[in-house]
Amino acid sequence: MVAETIMTVEVAEASAAGMKAIGAGLAVGLTGIATGIAEMAIGPAAVGATAENKDIFGLVLLLTVIPETIVIFGLVVALLMIF
Amino acid sequence: MAEVVNRGPGSYIYATTRMRVRKIKLVPREDYLRMLNMSLPEITRFIEETQYKAEIDELSSSFSGIDLMEVALSWNLAKEYQKVLDITPGILKEFTQNYLRRWDIQNVLNILRGKTQGLSSGKIKAVLIPAGGLDKDLLDSLLNEDSPERVVDALKGTGFSSLLGEEFPAAQESGSFARLENELYKQYFADLIVAAKSGVKGGVAFLEYIRFEIDIRNIQTLFRLKTGRVSDVRDMMIEGGSFTVEELQRLAGTESIDDLIDAVKSRVRVAPLDALLNEVRENMSIHEIENRLTCVMLEQMEKLSKRHPFSICPILVYLKKKRYEVENLRALARGKESNIPSERIQDYLVM
Repeated sequence: MVAETIMTVEVAEASAAGMKAIGAGLAVGLTGIATGIAEMAIGPAAVGATAENKDIFGLVLLLTVIPETIVIFGLVVALLMIF
Repeated sequence: MAEVVNRGPGSYIYATTRMRVRKIKLVPREDYLRMLNMSLPEITRFIEETQYKAEIDELSSSFSGIDLMEVALSWNLAKEYQKVLDITPGILKEFTQNYLRRWDIQNVLNILRGKTQGLSSGKIKAVLIPAGGLDKDLLDSLLNEDSPERVVDALKGTGFSSLLGEEFPAAQESGSFARLENELYKQYFADLIVAAKSGVKGGVAFLEYIRFEIDIRNIQTLFRLKTGRVSDVRDMMIEGGSFTVEELQRLAGTESIDDLIDAVKSRVRVAPLDALLNEVRENMSIHEIENRLTCVMLEQMEKLSKRHPFSICPILVYLKKKRYEVENLRALARGKESNIPSERIQDYLVM
């Protein structure tokens, strides 16, 4: 006997919504990891430079947060997918 | 209490960035040129406005003139090197300590020479630079020993003991510490090669540099000996470079400087060194050759530190450049004190 799977409209819609949620999660999660990796090198360099010259704190802070744009792109993509 | 994690690239990046910023703060070439036209008090005031302010302020009540400059420079160098040791973490620190042992050798030799000649502890102390592993307290305790033999005894267990035990009696008998000094530096370079192979990041690159530094030192010695006509040079050469000691002995026996230059050029292939050796053919004084060789060495080190930005190399470049800054300022001050013309002083500066 062959088991038949019946795909109703409701099931298809729920599946699509679930996939969107997974995609959005991956978009934010993976870009978050990428940001972390990028900041892993910039952070110690920024702290080291500031320890030697306190005047450049503002500049190095700016340089440290530049990789945050990656996760912001991920967040934008995730929001576009969900809404 | 939680331990500080020294693994991963973070500690290297932190330490090397600090060294780079410190390197930028060193006296630039333009300032040396400006100082060449100043008098000694003006130079003292000028460097007081830089990173030497704390030392000059602290010592100005006890010293004046050239002595103030000398002691302030030595104190600053020692303080700076100790600070670098504090900043560098883990394996980098061990490696830096090994590299700074050069100062221990210098200090121990100064104490032994001073004690042998019966100088007072105060006079010997004025020439010590506690920038290595032997700290101020240990050096003070060595200075308080009655005789050079007791100094050698007190150094047991420091890494110098076996060599001092072997070579010191002969040095004391002959009255010359030259052989002892040579042997200590040979051991120093041999230890550095072992440390470079120990797995530190950039160690392989540093090994390349150490070999180059050994080559430069051997070449410098060969050029010096060319004018002195010494027959056996084997004891004065450092092993571990591109040439074996036997090859260096053969080179020392060559007829003219040109043959020596050709032999060096065929083995040590570094572009700036090639250019310099071509210039040497056209009658250059020994002193000028040595100075230019030091510049080539610094240039090579700088290149290595750019090729390996997060390694031991940027730290060592800073240590070397700082040392030459202090030597330059000392040469400037001494030259001005002795009324030597500025052009002649400039020849002695490593810029």
